Amino acid sequence: MTEPIPSMTSRERVLAALARRPVDRTPACNPTSVATVELMDLVEAHFPAANREAEAMARLAATGYTELGFDSIMPVFSIIQESSALGCKMQWEQKDNWPTVRMREPIWQDADDIVIPNDLLTHPDTACVIEAIRILRREYGDEAAIIGKTMGPWSLGYHCFGVEPFLLLSLDDPGRTKLVLDRLKEATVQFGLAQIDAGADALTLPDHATGDLVSGEYYERYLKELHAEFAERLPIPLILHICGRTVDRMPFIAETGMAAFHYDSKNKPRESMDAVSGGIALVGNINNPETLFARGPEEVRAEVFANLDAGVQMVGPECAVPLQAPLENLMEIPRAVRDWTAARAPVH
Amino acid sequence: MGIAVPGRRVELLSMDPHFHDITVALYWRPGPASYLVHSFSGLSGADGRVAGIAAAMRALGGMEAAGAPGAVRFSCGDPHTLAARRLFVEACKIAPGAAAAPRPMQAEDKKSGRTIRAASLGGGRYRVSSDGSDTRRVLAVARGLARLAEMRAVEGAGDEVEFACGRAHDPLIGLLMVRALNLRAVMREIEMQAARGVLAAPSAQN
Repeated sequence: MTEPIPSMTSRERVLAALARRPVDRTPACNPTSVATVELMDLVEAHFPAANREAEAMARLAATGYTELGFDSIMPVFSIIQESSALGCKMQWEQKDNWPTVRMREPIWQDADDIVIPNDLLTHPDTACVIEAIRILRREYGDEAAIIGKTMGPWSLGYHCFGVEPFLLLSLDDPGRTKLVLDRLKEATVQFGLAQIDAGADALTLPDHATGDLVSGEYYERYLKELHAEFAERLPIPLILHICGRTVDRMPFIAETGMAAFHYDSKNKPRESMDAVSGGIALVGNINNPETLFARGPEEVRAEVFANLDAGVQMVGPECAVPLQAPLENLMEIPRAVRDWTAARAPVH
Repeated sequence: MGIAVPGRRVELLSMDPHFHDITVALYWRPGPASYLVHSFSGLSGADGRVAGIAAAMRALGGMEAAGAPGAVRFSCGDPHTLAARRLFVEACKIAPGAAAAPRPMQAEDKKSGRTIRAASLGGGRYRVSSDGSDTRRVLAVARGLARLAEMRAVEGAGDEVEFACGRAHDPLIGLLMVRALNLRAVMREIEMQAARGVLAAPSAQN
């Protein structure tokens, strides 16, 4: 008979799950944003300021733990912070929409154009992330897992070169594409290390080799080795995030040495567990646009249970939740995890 | 620990242009069956704005107060969810201090150049008619009302629709008549609203 696991703090729970060690219960973990417009009002921290000011960023991020009940806190809501620091043209939007990079106005055309600026880590849009992590470490560091984010070179390639030019380059000139990725990876590493210094427990590393545009073979050719390098150079658990249908590349992802893969609801929990075959933890995969945004707690609960039944190590939204998502649906994720666990607790 | 959510959210105004861009939502509370207009904003005056929207819902849609500040319900006891959502959206458009009043059950139809009317037949049933001979538009508006207010089409009478509760809701019909004239625009508006605030991968962004 196995020993019962002593009660854990949220932080201990997430870190144990990332290491695929036993946990007292499965963590409700959000490697990406759970910010909503209602939470912004609650703590007076609104977009776009909450993407650019450390205090507001930390205050809004903390609500994922203090109000919704997740075991983690994730302050990097958007995917554009370091792209702004690299010089991309930005559209900051307003409270109810996401900031974006104007990818139709790319800043670079060739690998030789790439310059990682000296102020990458002191630029206001990266410095605020680093400072927000410091604040959160100070205020919640013993309780909740603080998860930072550094974008992978494929995503930065889209932002800096434009989606179409970058994809065409990958078709026409694999050597040049690899050179681009190799040069951009330094931004990923620098920003990641700075967040580790600030106190991040884990880093989400989105690299949008998404299922709709990039094949599993592409992943192996261009990204697998790079991702393995990140796992070596960034000395805390890494959570790779790729949207879309990705089962075809999960066996490769499982060989990178990263701690977890944040996976999309287009992949079924059971088939995904089979695909990674114990080589990496999974986290996700509650559907955003339909379930969390447009349906109710019952449907959320069903998806949480499907993940838990399949043995998925951490449960959370599949990606940054829509800013208009109802709070009752988000709160249902940790609640359902606790209920599922309680129903299976041994009777003494 | 944790935020107190007042019920199940059925509609949301992300940014209220009439009051500091606060977020205001309509929550459904099953017992006692009622809606609550609510905002998590702690801004001074936010309570007043919430009360104003609830008052506009009563004035525009014939709802009644339901105890707590911001709480409203239909006197028939039915949630009429889609109609309540549309009513909330319309009530939010009314600026603080502006008068809200029920609208007539008729509207000018730009497509046919005619006036389209709805008449109560009792028992929650309504007949749509036109001052011209364009039955196609009459039938389209009846279908639009059915869709927007979750009404039933009356079998064998394409120009008639009815509320399942069997009670009259003239103010709702008046409110929705204008919208029923151009259902496609309403659907487009709903789709656009649903797409806003969803983070797309870079490869999926325009």
